[in-house]
Amino acid sequence: MANGSVQLQDVSKRFYRGTAHDTLRDLLASGIRRLTRRGKPKTRDSFQAMENVTFQINPGEAVGLIGANGAGKSTALKIISRIMKPDTGTITTRGRLTALIEIGAGFHGDLTGRENVYMNASVLGMRKPEIDAKLDAIVAFSGVEAFLDTPVKRYSSGMQARLGFSVAAHVDPDVLLVDEVLSVGDVLFRQRCVDHMQKLVNNGTALLFVTHHLEQMQSFCSRAVVIDRGKIIHDGHTTDAVARYIDALKNGETSKTQATTQTVARVTGLVFKDKFNRETLTTHAHDTIDIDVRYELAKPVTNLVVEIDIRRDVGSRLANFSSIRDNVTFNTPKGAGCTTLKLPALPFLGGQYFFRAILRDPDSGNTIADTDYRFSLFIEDDDKGTGVLCLPHEWQSNNQPQPDIQHDIQHDIQTEQHANALP
Amino acid sequence: MSATVQTNHHPLAELWHYRHLLVSLTVRELRIRYKQSLLGVGWAICVPLSMMLIFTFVFTRAVNVVAAMNIDIPYALFAYTGLVPWAFFATGLNSSVNSLVNNRSLVTKVYFPREVLPMSAIGSAFVDFVVASTVLVGLVAYFHFFTDWNFNPSPAILFLPVVVVVQIIFMTGLALILSMANLFYRDVRQILSVVLQLWMFATNVVYPLKPDESLIGRAVALNPMTPLIGAYRDCLIKGQLPDSASFIYATLVAVALLVFGWTCFQRASYQFAERI
Repeated sequence: MANGSVQLQDVSKRFYRGTAHDTLRDLLASGIRRLTRRGKPKTRDSFQAMENVTFQINPGEAVGLIGANGAGKSTALKIISRIMKPDTGTITTRGRLTALIEIGAGFHGDLTGRENVYMNASVLGMRKPEIDAKLDAIVAFSGVEAFLDTPVKRYSSGMQARLGFSVAAHVDPDVLLVDEVLSVGDVLFRQRCVDHMQKLVNNGTALLFVTHHLEQMQSFCSRAVVIDRGKIIHDGHTTDAVARYIDALKNGETSKTQATTQTVARVTGLVFKDKFNRETLTTHAHDTIDIDVRYELAKPVTNLVVEIDIRRDVGSRLANFSSIRDNVTFNTPKGAGCTTLKLPALPFLGGQYFFRAILRDPDSGNTIADTDYRFSLFIEDDDKGTGVLCLPHEWQSNNQPQPDIQHDIQHDIQTEQHANALP
Repeated sequence: MSATVQTNHHPLAELWHYRHLLVSLTVRELRIRYKQSLLGVGWAICVPLSMMLIFTFVFTRAVNVVAAMNIDIPYALFAYTGLVPWAFFATGLNSSVNSLVNNRSLVTKVYFPREVLPMSAIGSAFVDFVVASTVLVGLVAYFHFFTDWNFNPSPAILFLPVVVVVQIIFMTGLALILSMANLFYRDVRQILSVVLQLWMFATNVVYPLKPDESLIGRAVALNPMTPLIGAYRDCLIKGQLPDSASFIYATLVAVALLVFGWTCFQRASYQFAERI
């Protein structure tokens, strides 16, 4: 049934700050000021939340929308869902659209769980017969059956969230926009929501998923749009999108500091190569991978030390390779250079891994270049194990036939009696 | 500079799709209003009834002006048939003026036709109106059996739904404009409460109005609430159809206001989330 799509064409949106008149008094005052031309006119302080944004979501496609805070993701959602209107551009929506920007919209503490389900579902555009039909499923999904006729103000915040989630998960729209909302709640519940959305997408729903949770996005979006300061900087395969996103994040943070420090060395790239020596961004667990660290030196370095750090999505460092610890340094001339780290049989499980390259000059004692975790490699894993590492291991059965305990006790008693019988 | 948003739904079709939301919001408003209150929906009766008792006491005992009013039905009936529709009018507008602002989280986070919010405020006032109206049966019975006034049932009572619908149309038009204006300028609700006080005394709620040729008299004659409240009394108590000229005038004003209000509301509704 679901067969929706969304198309944005050159959509722009600009916000003005400090110009709204909230009371008639302000309006009168500014009107008089304008008439008498006294006082300075307020400057129109504005910022571009979206700039010529063009993309499309086809039926049955799940697209991720990622970007730093304030990049324009929420504005995009609000514009697509018609909460706001763009300044320029065209938005075409086919089919019924539902946006999940807030969980439990319209919930009121004085109403019971059941009443709130009806309230929330109708806010999301469901009709009463539809809600009647789905009520049991919604309640079962949420797991709050026992409290259905209790006012929601007596619920724990987790229960409220679950009930809100459940209603949201049972909306069957043609176009579904999902904001960060699904990233709260416990893991199992979240997984249920994701599975449910996957089902919708398989049935033809066009899905736009806004998140900071990259792994969750990668698990079911094949395509992602990266937005940075209102502009689309990438639209394509999710893995590349994640790399571009991290890139944009780091650039935004380091652009100022880089200009001030004098660069002695610069890492120009971190290139992953598979066993056939082809450049790649994805690999398989247990495969061989070569990592080329490419750099440019402003002056020759006699004992160049190369380091590589690896970490998962967000979290602590998983591995650190430092050439000096392995007693290797590189006598490198000025100009472009390249050092390769060979990793046979990668021990990592599937997922996204981030890499950082550091160049050091031990003679001056300085770090001369640091890329931070800008580079990423996606590891595919058919094993679907959880965790990070896949260590070499084997299982062994130790179920030997148990000795007859009864017999042993009997035997002990006998020997004891025998011992007592001795004079 | 142009922006277009294309969907395959007409605004009215959209509103029809969200009719269950209108019901849910109305029910929510009633539940919230009467939850943890001892009398509950009984308050819908108590308020106009006590107003009626006060006005009856003041106008018949404190200062006897009822005789000068020249009304042909018992004053208590006259007052109650004026106060109940007026309470509907005043409560509906007072709650709808805040309806957008009070539901900020819905307006900024979820898309739905925003008309639903002021309309549901009127919806819950309508429920109060229906409840309060039931008392009228008792009042009419009392005056029929215990006084020399006689109630004569007439088919004119069938016209009552038309009067109610015209009042709802008039209120909806006003509610759309006022709730929208209050979203942009919060002064509107303050102004409204003062205006409603004044408006009540410029309407035939607790006394009959006979507009004269003075400037004030002509202004009062323009008030569409006067023919409406007169129409309630005509078809409920007096058993006659309302004066056609003034009732048609009130209907035209109501429809024009609804069309104007709805058009403005449609145009402005995209700004609500930004300006609220």
